[in-house]
Amino acid sequence: MLIRAETGVKGKIDWAFFAAALGLLAMGTLSVFSAANELPYYGQVIQKHLSALALGGLLFLFGLTFNYQIFQDQAKVLYGVIIAVLVAVLLVGVTQRGQKAWFNLGFMTFQPAELARASTILVLAAFLDFRARKTHEFATVLMTVGVAAPVMMLILKQPDFSTTLVFFPVLLGMLFCAGASIAHLLAVTGFGFMALSMPLFYTLCQVRYAEAGPGSWAYWILQTSRFGAATWIVVGSIIAASVLAWRLAAMARFHVRAVFFVVAPLILISGFFSGIMVHRQLKGYQRNRFVAFLAPETDIQGAAYNVRQSQIAIGSGGVVGKGLFSGTQSRLGFLPERHTDFVYAVVGEELGFFGTMAILSLYLALIWRIVIAGRLARDRFGFLICCGMATMYSFHLVLNVGMCLGLMPVAGIPLPLISYGGSSLVITLWTLGVVANVYSRRYSLL
Amino acid sequence: MIQGHQALHSRLNFIWAVIYAAGCMLGLRLIQLQILQKGEYRLEAERNRTQMIHQTAPRGRIYDRKGLALATNRPAFSLIYLPGKGKDRPDIKLLKALAADLAIQLKQDPGAVLERLQEAVKEETAIRLAENLPSKTMFRLSELKTIYPGVDLVVEARRYYPFGRFASHLIGYMGKMDPRSWRQLKKEGYRVDSRIGRMGIEQLLEKELRGRDGGIRMEVDAQGRLKRMLERIDWVAGSNVYLTLDAAVQRAADEGLRKSATNRGAVVALDPRNGAILALSSAPDFDPNALLSSDPEEVKRTAATLPEFNHAISGAYPPGSAFKLIVGAAGLNEGRFSTQESIYCPGYFELGRRVFLCHEHKGHKNVSWLTGMAKSCDVYFYQMGLKTGASLIERYAKMFGLGELTRIALKGEKKGNLFGPESRPKARGPWYEGETANLSIGQGELLATPIQMAVMTAAIANKGTLWRPHFTERINYASGDYVQLPERLGSINLKEETWMNVQESMQMVISSGTGKAAAIAGIDVRGKTGTAQNPAGDDHAWFVSYASRAGEAPSIALAVIVENGGHGSSVAAPIAREVIKAYFGLSESPTKRYEPHGARPIGPETARAL
Repeated sequence: MLIRAETGVKGKIDWAFFAAALGLLAMGTLSVFSAANELPYYGQVIQKHLSALALGGLLFLFGLTFNYQIFQDQAKVLYGVIIAVLVAVLLVGVTQRGQKAWFNLGFMTFQPAELARASTILVLAAFLDFRARKTHEFATVLMTVGVAAPVMMLILKQPDFSTTLVFFPVLLGMLFCAGASIAHLLAVTGFGFMALSMPLFYTLCQVRYAEAGPGSWAYWILQTSRFGAATWIVVGSIIAASVLAWRLAAMARFHVRAVFFVVAPLILISGFFSGIMVHRQLKGYQRNRFVAFLAPETDIQGAAYNVRQSQIAIGSGGVVGKGLFSGTQSRLGFLPERHTDFVYAVVGEELGFFGTMAILSLYLALIWRIVIAGRLARDRFGFLICCGMATMYSFHLVLNVGMCLGLMPVAGIPLPLISYGGSSLVITLWTLGVVANVYSRRYSLL
Repeated sequence: MIQGHQALHSRLNFIWAVIYAAGCMLGLRLIQLQILQKGEYRLEAERNRTQMIHQTAPRGRIYDRKGLALATNRPAFSLIYLPGKGKDRPDIKLLKALAADLAIQLKQDPGAVLERLQEAVKEETAIRLAENLPSKTMFRLSELKTIYPGVDLVVEARRYYPFGRFASHLIGYMGKMDPRSWRQLKKEGYRVDSRIGRMGIEQLLEKELRGRDGGIRMEVDAQGRLKRMLERIDWVAGSNVYLTLDAAVQRAADEGLRKSATNRGAVVALDPRNGAILALSSAPDFDPNALLSSDPEEVKRTAATLPEFNHAISGAYPPGSAFKLIVGAAGLNEGRFSTQESIYCPGYFELGRRVFLCHEHKGHKNVSWLTGMAKSCDVYFYQMGLKTGASLIERYAKMFGLGELTRIALKGEKKGNLFGPESRPKARGPWYEGETANLSIGQGELLATPIQMAVMTAAIANKGTLWRPHFTERINYASGDYVQLPERLGSINLKEETWMNVQESMQMVISSGTGKAAAIAGIDVRGKTGTAQNPAGDDHAWFVSYASRAGEAPSIALAVIVENGGHGSSVAAPIAREVIKAYFGLSESPTKRYEPHGARPIGPETARAL
């Protein structure tokens, strides 16, 4: 392997990465200012955003210069800090919009879930590096999920459904890159799929066939979520089906390891039960978001209306847009959450195709440079950090932009660097600093 | 770089590939939305943010021959409601509260208001909740404006009739369109809440009077609040119409009928020199302003009991003794009898086995042409009619326009019924002399409309010209004036002597006969009364007349009928007197009586400034 000796600041900084991040910051700042322009608390938005930019800049420099390997050494401490702040926010946090998710520090508020979202990646990277020789074991997969689970539970308790959602792709991506067995990942994914899709399915049945009485199949399906006879019939038929499949496979002399016929039904059944649990835990507004995506014609509380307005905003922007500070959809209040979750729609309306493509391309460039930093990382820990960051930010990108374009459900996931949100901006800049640090230390021996 | 972990790098590369593919999908979607479908989304965004508030153009004003405005426009406030959209659409609680508050101010049923509000929310369009609001209500409503987003007041030019109950059947009224006709009129730019001329001149000259509506395109926010004006489309005022009508004459006719015993009848006055209508009155009449009231109950009530029947052109009555003018003209002109011929009237006339009574049961004793006319002796006319012959009378009646439309440009004109051996169906058998006797005094199946009688009288006054009655003098288009020229329906060529005899007899009617009640000092009034029997009820009181200042050509001819009013001499003739007095400016205090009530009317100029 050829190692080019690039020394000095020039070689330590990935200028493309830096430029992409700066470009996104500039566009984000512009669009937040434009989107919030007509709001009564515009001054506050500007002030908060600018101070977050300043603080974020400092944290970026901190991340860039602070040796990331120290996080590996102090992973347990970091993990303890994450759990501690998440517990603390549940005890002494401030409630905003029904979520007990903020610390009031007097001069500013801070959202610890944002810190947890980023730091958990560092902890997971450290853990996966620690289990490097045992990644092919299913136990490692389960343990990794086990490490992340308390953090997710605590965030879900706030309740912040959207941030919890981000952990799933991050976990999957990091395990995948760490070399976990595909079969194991499929098992975990299958479980997760069951746990998440059952509530969706139930919700859909509830909404679409609201009048379904006893005897109809929709009614029967909903009965299975009540831990009654119907539930056990489903469990029994899963077991019976596996036994049957096992016998059939044996008769056909088709060799499948026996463990498959034990594990598969177990995953299905536990996923099924988890799905029922999640279904019972879902809040009304969360259910409505799913419904708006799955069945837009049964619009509840206008979630589908929001997506429609976002599409109108983006589409009406055309190629060159209506110009900054002159979007009608956003300024006249048709577009909801215009400076936060739907800020991308404001960009689409005011800067047109050029603006939306610019953000999309800059984002892809940024993620691409994170991937490069991962490839060049001098150790497994750095590599895994980059994998986690890349999956996290691409998940944000795809879900947020997809939502604005009407391709994804309204999950309430912001677009980091673009959406307004102080904590998110500060933490994002810090994580980018860490990635830059991984890049800058690619040749260092220590 | 970590050594020996190529496999892991390929996994990261795989993830990158997935991300990149997803990014490309987003890019494609952007192309679809922002490049391929941008047109439809742009339209949608425009529809989101703009609301058109239509402004009805001030309708052309209607003036009488002296320049007095009979129909004009006034600024009026309308209450409109612009519902918010989507997430900001008002919930039912807010709507109910708004409906309750509005209902009190507008004196409407809260349920009905709520229904209209919900309709507006559903359709996401602006609606007019109330029109033509009185200023007191308006000020109270402007408070609601601050509480409820979407409620707004707009000023519009509204039709206003300064004289109220005045020539209502001729001028007509403004009303809502029925849904069926709206579907057709939509193409011509009418809106659901547009008003349209529904009767008389308002209907006839709808195109000319209407003008072109304008509007203000407003930017609204998601709550339905008006933000700013985007564009103003100026309206084009309708053309002003100048009538031949004389407001004083019309007022006298309207009031005369209103004060009459039955308040049912008609007056038609026209200029015998050209057929220009001076007054056209039908009773009962109505106040067209009531149909534009802000109180829907009042509108409903008025519309339900609207006396739409125009007696002046649609009412057909037996002309009674007024028809004796025709009988006389026919007999004298054809030499069937002479003015010197005298008969004895014992109060009845025997024809075969039938007895025909004179209205004067004591009899008129010795009667010749002038006394026969003056006293309206039926026995004289039975005998002269029999001498003249039914066919001849029928021919003359037709010549004078009976049984024919006068072709006045109003809807609903009736032909009446010409009666005689020729026009009667052959299947009805032979013509009896008894029928001739009846015809001679204007009874039987003969029917004439007041306008026909007026045209006929005018023809006697001008010695033979049947004018087509018209009421439009000129229409003031932007491109110039359209001037209505008089149009002849026909000419009647009688001997000068006949005209003189008929006219002289009409003078006798006023000076020493049944028409004394119509005599006016200093004015040469001539006329003929009529008391038409009808099987349905009391007699109809007729009076046909023409007048002139001494030594001048007759300048007004009129026909008055009071349905079931009784005697023409005591009921109809006094009305004619007042009408003629008004025409010659002899009424007590003309200026005061014709002053329009209410605010100063506005025209297009002032409306634009608002």
